[in-house]
Amino acid sequence: MADQLLDVKGLNCPLPILRAKKALKDLPIGSTLQVVATDPGAVKDFEAFCRTTGNQLVESKAEGKIFSFLIKRTA
Amino acid sequence: MAASPLYILLCSGEHEKLQMAAMMASVAAVSERPVEVFVSMNAILAFAKDVDPGARYQGGAFSRLLKERHAPDALTLFQQGKDLGDLKMWACSMALDVQGWDIDRLQDGLFDGALGLTKFLSDSETGQFVTL
Repeated sequence: MADQLLDVKGLNCPLPILRAKKALKDLPIGSTLQVVATDPGAVKDFEAFCRTTGNQLVESKAEGKIFSFLIKRTA
Repeated sequence: MAASPLYILLCSGEHEKLQMAAMMASVAAVSERPVEVFVSMNAILAFAKDVDPGARYQGGAFSRLLKERHAPDALTLFQQGKDLGDLKMWACSMALDVQGWDIDRLQDGLFDGALGLTKFLSDSETGQFVTL
């Protein structure tokens, strides 16, 4: 269970990343954010985003056309 | 290792290129990458305060799609990049002079000042350079 849920279904690049960045900024270090998206590009985008920002992509999964990412704020 | 800075030379007033510049700048900035955008030529016209919002973006077929699909506004994306990351925007001093504008004629809160091309090119030697 994540500390916060961010629903960005229906939003296209770059809004899911921008919304996630804003949400992470407001969370304490060590907290987790679950992002739910429908943009197919989000899978690779969130991998790259976590790699470049130093945050941890704990889980990435797809259920049909819904993509879910669990991110732990570590930076 | 810190990411290499991204320098965007934005000259075109076409909606599609303004949109791509705004997308690149905002995504790079929130990905912990320093970004500097130098706005000149026709591009600077889109940043004027007194432009009718409906006429701000002129473009081709994809511009129409962006408007129909309510894609995020380019100026809003630039602002979000500034709010959430290290994004600086510079107005070309030559373009301001040719237009007869002070920097106050441009949208509030977006620009860090006016700059000459020589300084921007000098600063960009250590980063990745993109022209739109």
